[in-house]
Amino acid sequence: MEGLKMDFLSSKALEDKSSIEKVSMIIERVKDGDILVLEGSLTPSEEAELIETTMREIDIENFVGIDIHTLEKDEKSFFGFSKKKTIGLTIIGPANVMKTVKKRSNFLSMIAKIGDSGASVH
Amino acid sequence: MNNFFKTLLDRLLRRRRKVKIGLYGHPNSGKTTLANTICEDWIGKPLGVISDIPHETRTVYKQEEVVIEKDGAKLYFDIIDTPGVATKVDYKNFLKYGLSEREAKERAKEATKGIIEAIKWLDDVTGVLLVMDSAEDPLTQANITIIGNLEARKIPFLIIANKIDLPESSADRISAVFPQHTVVPISALHRENIEQLYMEMVKRFR
Repeated sequence: MEGLKMDFLSSKALEDKSSIEKVSMIIERVKDGDILVLEGSLTPSEEAELIETTMREIDIENFVGIDIHTLEKDEKSFFGFSKKKTIGLTIIGPANVMKTVKKRSNFLSMIAKIGDSGASVH
Repeated sequence: MNNFFKTLLDRLLRRRRKVKIGLYGHPNSGKTTLANTICEDWIGKPLGVISDIPHETRTVYKQEEVVIEKDGAKLYFDIIDTPGVATKVDYKNFLKYGLSEREAKERAKEATKGIIEAIKWLDDVTGVLLVMDSAEDPLTQANITIIGNLEARKIPFLIIANKIDLPESSADRISAVFPQHTVVPISALHRENIEQLYMEMVKRFR
């Protein structure tokens, strides 16, 4: 791989896709070494389907699986009395590329490994 | 004759009450150790083999007809010990445990099949013990995905903060990350707080 490719997908780009289409698209890109940044999140059943598909696609030598990380944000309820967390961004990439992830509230830091050098993404 | 109907009724009710409890969690979180503790306590024999090497359990193990009795209340259930759920399986991680390359690759291949099997079992279990290593960060994708699916399917579950015997463990960290769920701190290996777990199981799954 010559460099790190990151694809940013808005929630609009995903809303018309079926679960199978979403999962296939993610796996296809991640297997190519890309890191995907999605606006919003997958549903729990899509996440389970993504893990299942990943396991089927692992070929031991070249593709060892994925790493998924989410950045949450606090959202106030309608009356502003209580806060709930929603997922703002979902980052999915090949497990052998996404090396270090540090996560704090409203902050996510990631080191991606490209060959012998590292690229830092905040 | 009365006894016959009473026994029949009891069996029918028992069948209705019986639940299938799946043990879920990361590889090496202590699922099989816990399954063994439960099985040894209530049926007198262990369920599976444990090991320090991750992905020791690579297929589902099942023990039927386990009965927990606590304060006069009985919980009838089948116990389903599932392979650890992960988003990646790299055979190179097994080499440091002394496995040959061939053994490590074979283990990795079996582990991927085991993870698929564990996810499929989510369709069949009626309750879950989600086992977490309380010395590790609980906020992982595998835990989030399992909890999300249990909530979406309305499957009752308990979070088990295992390995509280380790000095670096923190059950409080798990409670802080998942404040809306019941967290039961235990050491399956040293049987710490196991009676409390049985009480919670009867309360939650019966």
